[in-house]
Amino acid sequence: MSKSLVPELPTTAAEPPARRPTDWTTGAMQKRIRRRYAAERRFRLLGMAAVVLSAAFLAFLLIVMLARGIGGFTETRVALPIDFAAARLPVTPAQLRGRGADLALAGAGLEGAVDAAATTAFGKDGADLLSDGAWLTVRDAVKRDPALLARRATVEVPVASAIDIAVKGHGTPGAEATVQRLQARGLLSRGLNWRFLGNADSTDPTRVGIWGAFKGSLLTMLVTLLLAFPIGVFAALYLEEYAPRNRWTDFLEVSINNLAAVPSIIFGLLGLSVFLGTWGLPRSAPIVGGLTLALMTMPVIVIAGRNAIKGVPPSVRDAALGIGASPVQVVFHHVLPLALPGILTGTIIGMARALGETAPLLMIGMRAFIAAPPSGLRDPATALPVQIFLWSDQVDRGFVEKTSAAIIVLLVFLLAMNGLAIYLRNRFETRW
Amino acid sequence: MTSNHPPKITASHVNVFYGAKQAINDVSIDIGNDEVTAFIGPSGCGKSTFLRTLNRMNDTVPSARVEGEIELDGENIYSPAMDVVQLRARVGMVFQKPNPFPKSIYENVAYGPRIHGLASSKADFDTVVERSLRRAGLWEEVKDRLSDSGTALSGGQQQRLCIARAIAVDPEVILMDEPCSALDPIATAKIEGLIHELKGRYAIVIVTHNMQQAARVSQRTAFFHLGTLVEYGATSDIFTNPREERTKDYITGRYG
Repeated sequence: MSKSLVPELPTTAAEPPARRPTDWTTGAMQKRIRRRYAAERRFRLLGMAAVVLSAAFLAFLLIVMLARGIGGFTETRVALPIDFAAARLPVTPAQLRGRGADLALAGAGLEGAVDAAATTAFGKDGADLLSDGAWLTVRDAVKRDPALLARRATVEVPVASAIDIAVKGHGTPGAEATVQRLQARGLLSRGLNWRFLGNADSTDPTRVGIWGAFKGSLLTMLVTLLLAFPIGVFAALYLEEYAPRNRWTDFLEVSINNLAAVPSIIFGLLGLSVFLGTWGLPRSAPIVGGLTLALMTMPVIVIAGRNAIKGVPPSVRDAALGIGASPVQVVFHHVLPLALPGILTGTIIGMARALGETAPLLMIGMRAFIAAPPSGLRDPATALPVQIFLWSDQVDRGFVEKTSAAIIVLLVFLLAMNGLAIYLRNRFETRW
Repeated sequence: MTSNHPPKITASHVNVFYGAKQAINDVSIDIGNDEVTAFIGPSGCGKSTFLRTLNRMNDTVPSARVEGEIELDGENIYSPAMDVVQLRARVGMVFQKPNPFPKSIYENVAYGPRIHGLASSKADFDTVVERSLRRAGLWEEVKDRLSDSGTALSGGQQQRLCIARAIAVDPEVILMDEPCSALDPIATAKIEGLIHELKGRYAIVIVTHNMQQAARVSQRTAFFHLGTLVEYGATSDIFTNPREERTKDYITGRYG
C-alpha cells in the first residue's frame, strides 16, 4: 500500500500549555498597587498646592492693594471759618453768574483771603494746614451760594497732604500733634474724595485725580480694539479658510507668531519712528498709543482666531458646501459664529495685556505731565499704567496711597473689560 | 441603459488624482434618473471619491485633480461656465456622519432655501420646512420642537434631518455617502425605507459598505475595486450572476 503524498493532518491540535491564573496578591503586585496610589496622591497634592499658592498670592495682592489704596479715595477736611464780609472781595454778583466766575474770584484774591482766614483760625502756620487746592473748594462754595460773600461762613476744605497722612496714621510727629489739636476742637472730618475720580494729574497729591489717565486708557483701548479686532479676525479667516498652503503662508505664520513674542518696548520704538516721525501724528495722543498697542495685540488675536477657526469641525463646512453655500456664506454663516467664542477669548487676553502695557506708551510720550483729561483722540493724554508708574516715582508721601488707589482703578477697569467680553462670549455660545 | 430615459449623469473616462496618487482610473458610468444606484467595493476602492466628483466636493481638497467629463443632463459640470454653488444645490449630498448645523431644526432645513432665495415669506419657509421634514419622515417626531437644536436629536433623526435639509432645496440628484454606517439597525431600516420613498422623485446614488443594503435599496449596482469600475449592471444580476470573478469574490466575502 503506497502512502499518500498529502501529509496527514493531526486529528487533534496539540494542547496549549495550561495557563496559570495571574496571582494578583503577590508582594510585588501589592507594592505596585501601593506605589500607584501614592503617585496619584502626590500628583493631586501638588496640583492642590499650586492652586492654593496662586490663590494666596492673588488674595495677598488684592488685600494689600485694597488696604493701601482705599484711603486714596477718601480725604480729610477741616472746617475753616471765613469772614467774607471783612475780606471785602471786589466781586459783583453779576460777575458770579456765567462762565467768568472762576476768573473773577481768582482775580479778586480769593486764594489770599482763604490763607488769611486759615492764619486767623489755626495760627501762624495755618495756611500750611490746607491743601493747595483748598481755595478752589471755597470758590465752588461761593459760586453755589453768592450770598456767602456778604457774611461769615464756615467751609469744609481739604487739608494738606501731610495732615491727611497723619489722620490716616502714617504722619510725622509734628503733623500728628497738629491733628490732635484740630481733632480736640472737633474741626476734622472725613469724606469721599470726588476730585480723585474727576481730576487729572497734579503736583499736589491732594489735588490729583485718576479721571485723566482713565479717559486716556479708555480712548487708547478703543482705538486698539477698533483696529486690532477686525484686522486680526479677517487675517485669521483668510489664512485659515482661503490662503493656499505654501512657503509664503508658512513664512507668514512664523512671522505672526514671532510678532506676538516681540518685547513691547520695540513696538513703542516702532510707533515713535513711524507714527510720530513719519506720519507726524501728535505726541502723547491716545490715537498713537492705540495704533501702537493695536500692532501688539493683533498677532495675539490672529493666533487665537486661527486656533478657534481650526477647531470648527470640517463636517460643518462640508454640510454647508453640500447644499450649495458659497465659501463666503460658509465662513460668515457657520465658521465665524462657531469660532467667535474662541476669538473673543483671544481678544480678551490681548486687550488685557494692552491695557496693562506701559513701556511702549513711554516711548511715544504718554508719560508727560498732563493736568487736563483728554477730550479727543489727538489730545495729549496718559494711561492708567503709566500714571501708576509716574506716581510711584514721586517723592511726596501723599502719592503712596494715590498709587495704590490708581492700581485699584486699573484692576476694576480690567475686570469690567473682561466681564463684558465674557458676557458677549456666553451670549454667542448660547445662541448656537 | 435599460430604461428609455436619457441618463441623468454621464461620466466618461474620469480620472481623479490626489497629488501624484491616482484614486480613480478611467471610470465611465451612466446614472439613471428615477432609480437608486449603489456603489459598492472594499475600503479605499475610490467609491466615495468618485461620488464626491459628482457634485465637485473634491474641489475642497487642495491636492485633488479631476480629468475626464461628467455631464449632468448633458452639461459638463467641470466646464468653467458651471457655477459650483448652483451645481451643489441641484446635486445634494448626505454625509457618512450626520452633520446637522448647530442651529434649530427649523433653521437646519430653512438654511438652503434661504441662501438660494427659494422662499421669501415666513409662510413659504414654514411650508418648505414642513414638506421637507415630512418627506424625510421626521415631521411627526419633531413638529413640536422645531426650535430645539438639530444636534440634540438622536443619530438616526440627525441623519434624516440632513436628508430633509438636502431635499429642502429641491435637488435633482441626492448623493449619499455611507449614510447608515454610523447608525443602529433600526435607524438604518428607517433610512432605507426613506430611500425607497424618495426613489423616482430624485436620482439617488448611495455608497455603501453593506452589500445587503445595496441589494435592498438599489436598482443598479456598480462594483469598484482599486480605483476602477469593475462591473456595473442591474442589482439583481450583480448579486446573483456577476460576470467578473472579482465581483463574485467580493460578494461571496472572499475579500473586502
